[in-house]
Amino acid sequence: MNQIKVLFFATLRDRAGEKSVNIDIPEETTVQALKDIIVKTFPGLQKSIDSVVVSVNREFAFDENIIPESAEVAMFPPVSGG
Amino acid sequence: MDYPTIYDITNSEIDINGLLAKLTLLSTGAAAIFTGMVRGKTKNGNPHETTYLEYEAYVPMAEAKMKQVAAEIRQKWPSIEGIGIIQRIGKLYPETPTVLIACTAAHRDTGVFDAARYGIDRLKEIVPIWKREVSPSGEEWIEGDYMPKPGE
Repeated sequence: MNQIKVLFFATLRDRAGEKSVNIDIPEETTVQALKDIIVKTFPGLQKSIDSVVVSVNREFAFDENIIPESAEVAMFPPVSGG
Repeated sequence: MDYPTIYDITNSEIDINGLLAKLTLLSTGAAAIFTGMVRGKTKNGNPHETTYLEYEAYVPMAEAKMKQVAAEIRQKWPSIEGIGIIQRIGKLYPETPTVLIACTAAHRDTGVFDAARYGIDRLKEIVPIWKREVSPSGEEWIEGDYMPKPGE
């Protein structure tokens, strides 16, 4: 198992009720598989997950990408700075 | 030649003159500056009033993406000299500047206007910053609609 950290921002933080969580995931877990794990852990995120943006180690990541060991993952809605 | 690139996420007031000074070289003759501020009264679309906006950022990634936006500007407009990209975060009230994009060059006709426009457009696409709008009728997170693509 790999331990990773998942950060939540904006609506996802509100719906998860947490700023971040440390979780163990199997090796070779993809971003898509992590989304499924996160929704099981935080059912409140179900309605956010289809339009979520994911980053791994501060770069945008996509469903088929594999999450490396000790990764810093973040999940957030489309950005709205400016 | 090393041209200045300044990017920052700050809780403090944006210092336009201070930034401009840092982006001005002996060879500089033009600057295009875009700044956005909190709009207290929105007339178009869904007319409403805004009490304040509260911004938050994923700071280390936002800094990395600002740096990337600056690199993209330099690639598209090689004549650009200085680039400044500043986002203020925290609770910001109407009439307060929230963001600043500044591009300098030797002359005004070598892309400074387009470069600054590109900078604010890209910031709104790929820099992880969000705002929550508080109005007399309640509050809500404002979400963008851009989904980043591989390589961004």
